[in-house]
Amino acid sequence: MIGQGIAEVAASSGIEVVLSDLEKGRLEAGLTGIEASLDSSIERWRITAGEKRAILSRIKTVVGIDEAEECEFAIGAVPEKIKLKMDLFRQFEEAFSPETVFVTTTSTLSITRIAGETARPEKVVGMHFLHPVPKRNVVEVVRALKTSDETLASAVELATEMKKQVVEVYEYPGFVTTRVIIPFINEAAYALMEGVATIEGIDTAMKLGFGFPVGPLELADSIGLDEVIQRMEGMFHELGDFKYRPCPLLRKMVRDQKLGRKTGEGFYKYPDAGEGKP
Amino acid sequence: VRILVINSGSSSVKYKFFVTPENKSLAEGQVERIGLSGSLLHHKRADGDRVRVGVEVTDHAQAIDAVIAVLISPNHGVITDKSEIDAVGHRIAHGGESLTESVLVTPEVRNKIENCIELAPLHNPHNLRGIDACAELLPGVPQVAVFDTAFHHTIPRHAYIYALPYVLYRRYGLRRYGFHGTSHCYVAGRAAEMMGEDLENLKVITCHLGNGSSMAAIKNGRSVDTSMGFTPLEGLVMGTRCGDIDPATVLYVMGKERLTISEANAMLNKHSGLAGISGISSDMREIEDEALAGNERAGLALDIFSYRIRKYIGAYAAAMGGVDAIVFTGGIGVNSPIVRRKSLEGLDYLGAKLEDSVNDESMGRDVDLTAPNSRVRILAILTNEELVIALDTDRIVGSLKKPEGDLNV
Repeated sequence: MIGQGIAEVAASSGIEVVLSDLEKGRLEAGLTGIEASLDSSIERWRITAGEKRAILSRIKTVVGIDEAEECEFAIGAVPEKIKLKMDLFRQFEEAFSPETVFVTTTSTLSITRIAGETARPEKVVGMHFLHPVPKRNVVEVVRALKTSDETLASAVELATEMKKQVVEVYEYPGFVTTRVIIPFINEAAYALMEGVATIEGIDTAMKLGFGFPVGPLELADSIGLDEVIQRMEGMFHELGDFKYRPCPLLRKMVRDQKLGRKTGEGFYKYPDAGEGKP
Repeated sequence: VRILVINSGSSSVKYKFFVTPENKSLAEGQVERIGLSGSLLHHKRADGDRVRVGVEVTDHAQAIDAVIAVLISPNHGVITDKSEIDAVGHRIAHGGESLTESVLVTPEVRNKIENCIELAPLHNPHNLRGIDACAELLPGVPQVAVFDTAFHHTIPRHAYIYALPYVLYRRYGLRRYGFHGTSHCYVAGRAAEMMGEDLENLKVITCHLGNGSSMAAIKNGRSVDTSMGFTPLEGLVMGTRCGDIDPATVLYVMGKERLTISEANAMLNKHSGLAGISGISSDMREIEDEALAGNERAGLALDIFSYRIRKYIGAYAAAMGGVDAIVFTGGIGVNSPIVRRKSLEGLDYLGAKLEDSVNDESMGRDVDLTAPNSRVRILAILTNEELVIALDTDRIVGSLKKPEGDLNV
């Protein structure tokens, strides 16, 4: 999902993109997703049909990564599991030329550990894009232990070219965005579980009280409750602090398959295939 | 004097090479797709020789280097060495309030153009790249900047201040600037020439109708009002731009559809105008064809487009206390008899009557379209913005080389 969003935004900014996946089906789904997203951009008057054609012409798809050696950047956006990330970077090492900068999109894992899988840790950097990439105009550019200044600068330049505001962060679990927002959601879930207020009440209080565009529970639904728990656990394991303990209500809802928007129900119900308004 | 006229866009550089005082173009062309794969150079020499080559250009400097290379090439060129380029004239989109006439580019002028980037974020940065590239490739060759906004600097305050809080004018320079200045200036002068009159004694309404369209009221040779404003969005209906609308409609739609600023901006600039009304095309030729074939929305687009022009003719006649000539220029202005006819419909009371038989057959050339009993002259004139830039460049560079007499003053 993140990979698709990054490809769309990069191509929209005039960058030539090679979109790669091990499975042809997923690759096609990614491209279809980009087309659908561009179509909705046309409907929202954001771009024209001509611009959509130009953007799509900049995206080339390949199965596997063998044909991609000439890229300036190789961005690995596999699921948030350390083993998957490490495997991918070992493959990157074989597929790309020594000049290519390796980027991982992880939000909680140690980039230094992932970089250790390669012989070029100085050319490895983190870029944490937020979902949905076309709408979230910030990227956390993450310096790992051995990331060189040059590599960091090139990542900042890439993000700027993609019209994203850059926040430079040091490697630390959750960086800024995840570190602050996930416990915030978790706390809202506790408030609900402990009967402080209703779902709507909690969201309204936070929205109007602090100018958030969405409340914490609605936000949790759009992130996915399983993802919220996974990130909470990630920080709990890394930092060992009790305050990162996932709220039992979240666990209960995940066991019930109430994952949020994507399953049609989380804190709110989403009648039309997970796309409706609460 | 040999003058290279440059118009640098975001991904293209257009050029025309003039020799003065003959005022003849020796060659012209453009480099397309700068910084993208498959960059192309199109070059056309005055004798008809044409060449189209793929070039490897990643920035404006390399593009202009390719232009110089083709100008001196033995097969397709017109000079033998780049030292034969005596001066460079640049088309610059926005001069703001501080650059009100064509000037020699000095470090100070360059800074001022840079300061206007906020007013023309899509154009001025690329224009500057052209200037910097020429400074690098043609060291010591004088460069002149000619501004799209400059001709309109004579517009009086009551016509350029918007009825918004005055502090916004002070804070952001929010006011009418107007664009297409060199085109309005050129066709007004050419109109006076065709009429055998002095422009100083005329009230002229010029209609530049192209992809972007604007009109100007030119009294005694000076622009006194123009339809484009703070940006090129105001005024006439254009291919994809809305022109005049109630500003509240924008706020209403933004609220209803939860549009961001950039979405609203794209809606007004890229999805409106002829394309927005017709749902078919932003190209007037297609709109006309479809309208003739009975497509109602295409017909509506054509009606709205022409009606807006007619309204502005009335307004500008009122602003100047009369009108002696109405001039059509730009792709649509010189090629569309239908638009000219519909725009002038019912203007007999003003003394403007089109000679239909001439109008219907006149496309793509300078022509007098006035009916015998019309008091107002109606003309179609091919614009030549590059020539204006070359002439301004020639004049300014010429004044630099005056004998010492001047320096002793």
